[in-house]
Amino acid sequence: MTTTDPRDARVRRLLAEAVTATTLADVPAAAHLDGGERLQVVDTFVTVLGGLYSHLPAKRAAYASDPVQGLTLLRRRAVDLTDAEFHLALTGILTGLRDAHTRYVGPVAARGQVATLPFLIEAHGPDHEPHFLVTKVGPGATTDRSFAPGVEVLAWNGVPIARAVEVHADRETGGRPDARRSRALESLTFRALDYGPPPDEHWVVVEYRTRRGATRETRFDWTVVAPGRAETAVSRATRAALKVAVDPAADAVRRAKKLTFVPELWATEDEAEPAAPPPPPLPRASTTRAGVARAGGAAPSGRLPTGNAGGVGTDWIPTPLQDVLAARALDADHGLLRLWSFDVGDDAAYLDEMTRLLGLLPAGGVVVDLRGNPGGLVWAAERALQLFTDHPVVPTRFSLVATPLTRLMAASPFNRLELEAWNGSLQDAVSTGEQYAQPLPLTDPAWCNDRGRVYPGPAVAVVDPNTYSSGDLFAAGWVDNDVGPLVAVGQATGGGGANVWTLSQVRDALAGTERALPPMPAGTSLTVAVRRTIRSGRGDGIPVEDLGIAGVPYDMTRDDLLRDNVDLQAFCLGLLRAG
Amino acid sequence: MWAIRGRVVALSDDRSVAPSESAVFTGRVWIDDDGRVAAVTRSTRPGPARFDGCPVVDVGSSLVLPGLIDLHNHLAYDTLPLWTEPSQAVPFAHHDSWPRARTYAASTTWPAYAFITASPHELLAYVETKAIVGGTTSVQGSPPMNRPRDGWLVREIDDESFGTGDRNKVLASVLTAKPADLADRANRMRAGSLFVYHCAEGQPGSLVAREYTDAESAGCLQPRFVAVHATAVDAAGFARWADPGAVVWSPFSNLWLYGVTTDVPAARDAGLAVCLGADWAPSGSKNVLGELKAARLAADHAGWNLSDEDLVRMVTCVPGDVLARGWGRQTGRLQPGALADVLVLRAERGADPFASVVAATEEDVDLVVIDGVARYGTPALTAAAGAPDLTALTVGSRDMRLSLTHPDDGTTPWGWDDVVDRLEAVRADPQAEITAAQARAAAWAGSMSDEGAPLRLALDMPTGVGPVGGLPRDLGTIVVPPLESLMPDDAWLAQVVGRGFHEGVLDGLRAYY
Repeated sequence: MTTTDPRDARVRRLLAEAVTATTLADVPAAAHLDGGERLQVVDTFVTVLGGLYSHLPAKRAAYASDPVQGLTLLRRRAVDLTDAEFHLALTGILTGLRDAHTRYVGPVAARGQVATLPFLIEAHGPDHEPHFLVTKVGPGATTDRSFAPGVEVLAWNGVPIARAVEVHADRETGGRPDARRSRALESLTFRALDYGPPPDEHWVVVEYRTRRGATRETRFDWTVVAPGRAETAVSRATRAALKVAVDPAADAVRRAKKLTFVPELWATEDEAEPAAPPPPPLPRASTTRAGVARAGGAAPSGRLPTGNAGGVGTDWIPTPLQDVLAARALDADHGLLRLWSFDVGDDAAYLDEMTRLLGLLPAGGVVVDLRGNPGGLVWAAERALQLFTDHPVVPTRFSLVATPLTRLMAASPFNRLELEAWNGSLQDAVSTGEQYAQPLPLTDPAWCNDRGRVYPGPAVAVVDPNTYSSGDLFAAGWVDNDVGPLVAVGQATGGGGANVWTLSQVRDALAGTERALPPMPAGTSLTVAVRRTIRSGRGDGIPVEDLGIAGVPYDMTRDDLLRDNVDLQAFCLGLLRAG
Repeated sequence: MWAIRGRVVALSDDRSVAPSESAVFTGRVWIDDDGRVAAVTRSTRPGPARFDGCPVVDVGSSLVLPGLIDLHNHLAYDTLPLWTEPSQAVPFAHHDSWPRARTYAASTTWPAYAFITASPHELLAYVETKAIVGGTTSVQGSPPMNRPRDGWLVREIDDESFGTGDRNKVLASVLTAKPADLADRANRMRAGSLFVYHCAEGQPGSLVAREYTDAESAGCLQPRFVAVHATAVDAAGFARWADPGAVVWSPFSNLWLYGVTTDVPAARDAGLAVCLGADWAPSGSKNVLGELKAARLAADHAGWNLSDEDLVRMVTCVPGDVLARGWGRQTGRLQPGALADVLVLRAERGADPFASVVAATEEDVDLVVIDGVARYGTPALTAAAGAPDLTALTVGSRDMRLSLTHPDDGTTPWGWDDVVDRLEAVRADPQAEITAAQARAAAWAGSMSDEGAPLRLALDMPTGVGPVGGLPRDLGTIVVPPLESLMPDDAWLAQVVGRGFHEGVLDGLRAYY
């Protein structure tokens, strides 16, 4: 990077502007909510959770707790609490649902910010005996030269790391313990401030074992960044925004990782031409082994996709949708397609680009890797399945919980196009006693089969507990439509089975009804799972929430973390070869 | 205060005005500042003393009659052309049949959605203008809206509250209501609301006849019940409506879709008030003035004994009396205390007044007064009547004037060309316009019922068979047809012939234009 290149100067400027605070002490305090405003918040949440939350019956059963009663109790003492206590209590009630779709959005001073530490920790080994490695370190993260990818983390602020992850998992969403741990591990170093309080600790002391076996400690301060959203992301003000299934916090974290670990790519994602290869963001040793982005552009997300050890196909194919897609050859016969996210506004463009990339890959088999994919546009996920199979693809289905509020909403003339299809069964539920409306697809079956197969070879998909929401749907469709084998790192996908709406979308849907919601104070809000996902085809009728989609189990290895998923890819290629 | 002098067709049941409702006389209609008729006087008799010196607009031999009332429409769709399903060889069975047609959603729901979403104000301006150029002063079927308003150009019957904000004076339902909902409506009617309900629309003997018996079981057969279509109801059914309400007859639409229409003689024999409604543009007349001609043709074809006066009453005093049951105000008659909604129609001296009305076209509409204010007419008459905020527009062969203001404030003049240009912009790129409108709506942080909230309209007709969500995945595939002309022209009349299931009955419309 030269100092005179205007493009480089722009990149540096964007990166500098993205850092909004270099310590948590510099984060402006959130607006104060007086007693009346707190009641407004609580009352709105009672209305939404009690009347609209699609998983409420299941969550009551699964966790033996009642968030509506929790909110009712909070209402009684809301005025007596400090701001921090009130927000913590509210966050606790919603986090207790273990649902990454359904989150409290507190009154922060600025939206879209993520608290970050400049490194990433990932785990390998079986659940009962995990090892935690530093796998990425951001440029200029520390003067401690021995703190590099590959060191093993031993303790976190003096707490043994495995215990620290377990404790933190208790404050995380995720229906299964492994899903919670997975999210906790991610949020050790990245926290979306829209969806939770800032870290309690302003700095972190990491005890780690160097590659030479020595034990050392180093300290990191939190930094706050505003990673923004890619221009290709779904716009919140469009019809497609009602067809979104995403973990909004995870998506913000995904963006923050990209900013932290591949900043040049983050800063150039809105350029018309695919990014030129940026300088490798990893320290030399790792780069040398992994061969990052040698010719075709960098990996497009926080995770660093590097070439396989065989040296074939280490070039990522340039793509204008680098925020959400990546592809490269793994060897002469096989390819890798990385689906970072389904957060796109234009599913047709997404499929067009997937089709183009698949056409450039070897035709002997493809690994479709959607680990860490937090979801996005349902249409994009479900329509993508047809590119890999000759079978007719049957989409998942969605239903609303049957309550007076959903009946009112579905009957509103303003919601006819969006909800009319569910209205009849919601009204009938009064007499049938059905807990849910008839499940119906959000993606028209014809749209799931309008392009047909594109990739001629076999395909295997890879997921993990951070594959969530539309990622869950893709995995469900992959399994239920017999597209190919599904490899699950961990027990299953994250189990986010719903179409998620923002509070403004809920307010919009209730406008004009007798239960219209008032505006919320100080920008407080929530996201909520409105339509529950039900699997189709082979898994017909099974909900996705909490259960996730299981597959062929796989435990990550140390080499996977440090040598570009080498063992995982070999495992997948074995499945492809086995037919 | 002002007055209109001409040949008055008062249709008044106030004997101080005329000895009979059928009387037609030269006289004056005195219009007060409160939007009501203060008096109707014959010959040169003076008006109320306080009107001394007030302007009198003399329309010569033209007819001065109550503004026309369209008791059945769906305004959101009234920019669209006549629709037929190419694959449909036989008349549709009932109202649930044609929404399943292959081309229905793309021809009706989607283009209407584009306009209600991207240009709601302009849509209402256009379709209300289409009504007013046909002499309509009150029209039923306004799209549901987030912040309904009292009459802005034409009275929208569903939303009219006369400044009270009470939107429950007239209730409406296009879609089939469940028995419990009908029972609720029965009680709302008992409490004073009028209920306009699409009921038993289809072939006699088809399953939709049950909608009438459901309404009967629910207790809806009351004086404030307005059954729209009721084509599947037979004479015995009408006879059971012992405390009679009203039926709305839309012959054009009925014949177009089903090849049959309401049994009007049976309904009249049962004592029901039979009113006319133009219905929506995809299967109906341009406005209720056109529907009068469809009614004439249908009645003559069926051999019914319906006079021209009978038909004129179906768009004036009969629906006026029905509305009075909900509104508590008289319209459709020119008499003291009635709403000053007035139509001036050009007519030859000595011509039969009722035949003239039936035969009149938009080219004969010289002045329309709503709530005492001249809103549309010839340049000379609108000027003489002191019409505010005039914009020019061409209707048929004539240069006309329309009183048009921005709906946001009701006072800023609005140009007709601006209305049309905006609609054409939406037509040119529906996808971009819909997307931009959605963004504007999403940016609104306040309550949707606030005065300043973006106007939001909803569709009231069946949405048709389509993907869940009702719209194509790619909004770029939405095609919005050219705006329909304000009055029947050659192109529209040509669409009528040989299409639909009227078996030539409506071919006779051309003779009127």
